[in-house]
Amino acid sequence: MSAAALALAEVLARGDIWRGDTLAGLPEAAIPSGHPELDAELPGGGWPRGNLTEILVDRNGVGEMHLLLPALAALSAAGGWLALVAPPWVPYAPAWAAAGLALERVVIVRAGKDAAWCCEQLLVSGGFSGVLAWPAAAIDARALRRLQLAAEGRSGFACLWRPLSVANAPSPAPLRVQLAADNGDLLVRILKRRGRPAARPLNLNISRPGRLARALVGPSLSLAAARSAAIKAVA
Amino acid sequence: MLPLEALPLRQSPSALVSRGRVLFCDRPAAEAGVRTGQRLSTALGLQPGLAVFERDEVRESNALVNLACWAGRFTPTVSLLPPATLLLEIAGCLRLFGGAEVIVDAAQAGCATQSYTTGWAVAPTPLAAYWLARMEVAEIYQDLPTLHEALALLPCRAPGWPDETEARLAAFGLKRLGDLRQLPAAGLRRRIGNQPLDDLARAWGDLPHPQKAFIFPEKFSLKIELPARVEHAEALVFAAQRLFASLSGWLHGRQLLLQTCILKLTHDDASFTDLPLSFAEPATDEARFSRLLREHLGRLQLRAPVEVLTLSATELLSKPGASGHLFDQAVAGEGTLACLERLQARLGEGAVQVLGQRPDFRPECATRPSNLSRFSASTVSAGSHAGAAGFSAPRPLWLLPAPQALHETAGKPCWHGPLRLLSSAERVESGWWDEGEDAATGDVRRDYFVASNPQGQWLWIFRDAQAWYLHGLFA
Repeated sequence: MSAAALALAEVLARGDIWRGDTLAGLPEAAIPSGHPELDAELPGGGWPRGNLTEILVDRNGVGEMHLLLPALAALSAAGGWLALVAPPWVPYAPAWAAAGLALERVVIVRAGKDAAWCCEQLLVSGGFSGVLAWPAAAIDARALRRLQLAAEGRSGFACLWRPLSVANAPSPAPLRVQLAADNGDLLVRILKRRGRPAARPLNLNISRPGRLARALVGPSLSLAAARSAAIKAVA
Repeated sequence: MLPLEALPLRQSPSALVSRGRVLFCDRPAAEAGVRTGQRLSTALGLQPGLAVFERDEVRESNALVNLACWAGRFTPTVSLLPPATLLLEIAGCLRLFGGAEVIVDAAQAGCATQSYTTGWAVAPTPLAAYWLARMEVAEIYQDLPTLHEALALLPCRAPGWPDETEARLAAFGLKRLGDLRQLPAAGLRRRIGNQPLDDLARAWGDLPHPQKAFIFPEKFSLKIELPARVEHAEALVFAAQRLFASLSGWLHGRQLLLQTCILKLTHDDASFTDLPLSFAEPATDEARFSRLLREHLGRLQLRAPVEVLTLSATELLSKPGASGHLFDQAVAGEGTLACLERLQARLGEGAVQVLGQRPDFRPECATRPSNLSRFSASTVSAGSHAGAAGFSAPRPLWLLPAPQALHETAGKPCWHGPLRLLSSAERVESGWWDEGEDAATGDVRRDYFVASNPQGQWLWIFRDAQAWYLHGLFA
């Protein structure tokens, strides 16, 4: 009995044995996300380098970039280049600068149909410490696999933005995170990670502009009301 | 052994003879009893099959220069010590190669493939290394104390010292350099002259001993005579490897890349065949040269036996310098700008842009992406604009390509549900100067608000005289 227990302890002490109840360690140091609650749940204690990360979000404007901004700012401050591949909107440079990113090292790639190819090239070049891509919704598993292979073994942070509808589709990305708004907070559900599955979604308190308590109301907001008032006054 | 080994068409046992006396002999001859200084008749009596040659100093110095070129692969600081010694300064390259042993092994293997026998030693001072190598000590001494012990055991004989000095020292009863070193220097100088004592001080490291560096020749053209007439093209590869080894060392030494070279085969009827080799990508790798030559020679039909091979480098490119990282973190891959250039080539002009900002209050004008072609200029100017727009009110990371009109329900703007306004109005009123210009935003008069909808999306909306618009996303 004790011999068997000893043998098991020896086996568990081996470096190539990974126990399912602990989070995997990553060979490359992760990038701290700037949110301690999230870091505690992410393998390696932050956003992974050298692996594909998928962020699934349907409604934009819930604070999804604020989730990444501290990490991106750290990468940028360390002299790294960031690439935004096929973003659906136009970046507003002063806000990016205010977030601590060095604008001269932020590259916008208007990739069109070639988003996956561009993303792969950027990752393989090794010259970028962060690649954020908004691939077409129809990106197939083979392209994703190629992206994961391109990211593997490099020190860059690779992030794909995808819609919630693919949450149940298999993906080669080792980390998948689903985002939703929750009453002014950001609800982060880790769909897939190396290690045991995450038990519950995280409620992250991220800073939002404006104040919920001070909502403006009143007829003066309505243009239609203002117009009708003006017409009445003329009459 | 260089005087013998520099000769073509040599077979063993052999000896070099000058004025009827043996100058050098190879190992088989020495085993038969042939000694330096013997009469030729005695030597032939001891070894009847002895092949006898005259000394050819031009060939010797050529061989030494070729070896120096070849040694360029180890260090850029090579010194020639005629007649037959090369000094390589390897202190600066130890880390690159991973230790003196590795360099010594590689150098010996290289000399062996070029069929040169070598004696070697590694020492902190050039003269000590030379003396120890001449004695075929074959040891690595990395610090002075161990070197001093080794030097002290050497006999009182050094290349370059007059015979008279040696005889004199022997008469003093001095057998080892260590004994010589212990005697008072001033008295010795009076008796045997300055040179031996200066040499001692240099070998011991007391006096500096600067070496004249070998200058790698401007042009590379190297000729070797084959030891036997070669009739099969494939057999030439082995001889050519020797040329390629020198060429590769020379390329390393001069920091060049080879694009094309010509191998000239001189036949025994004095005609010759030119064999140009050109590379798809500039290279310095001798194994690659050999592979390409093998392909060419496979197809070549020799019209006469070959006696001489001449290799000349015709097209060269200077090697692009790439600095390594201080802490082993060199990235694999082509790098940032090369990758962006390629993307731009595929996606078209303007598809790859670097962010920049412009001091303009109108949000759509505040971003100034710069094209890659003007990249270097934009990095310089970017610093001056950073922080030009210091806003107190919040600004969204994303803007819509064009403001999107919102409809009103129950007196409130709506976008996926009625919007709640979360800030007081911020007036942006600017831009009269480019009113009416093509593709310009023109004069705007807008009140911006932060708003949120029931789905928890945070938006940047504005109201002007006409309607409500959605302009940005607080992502």
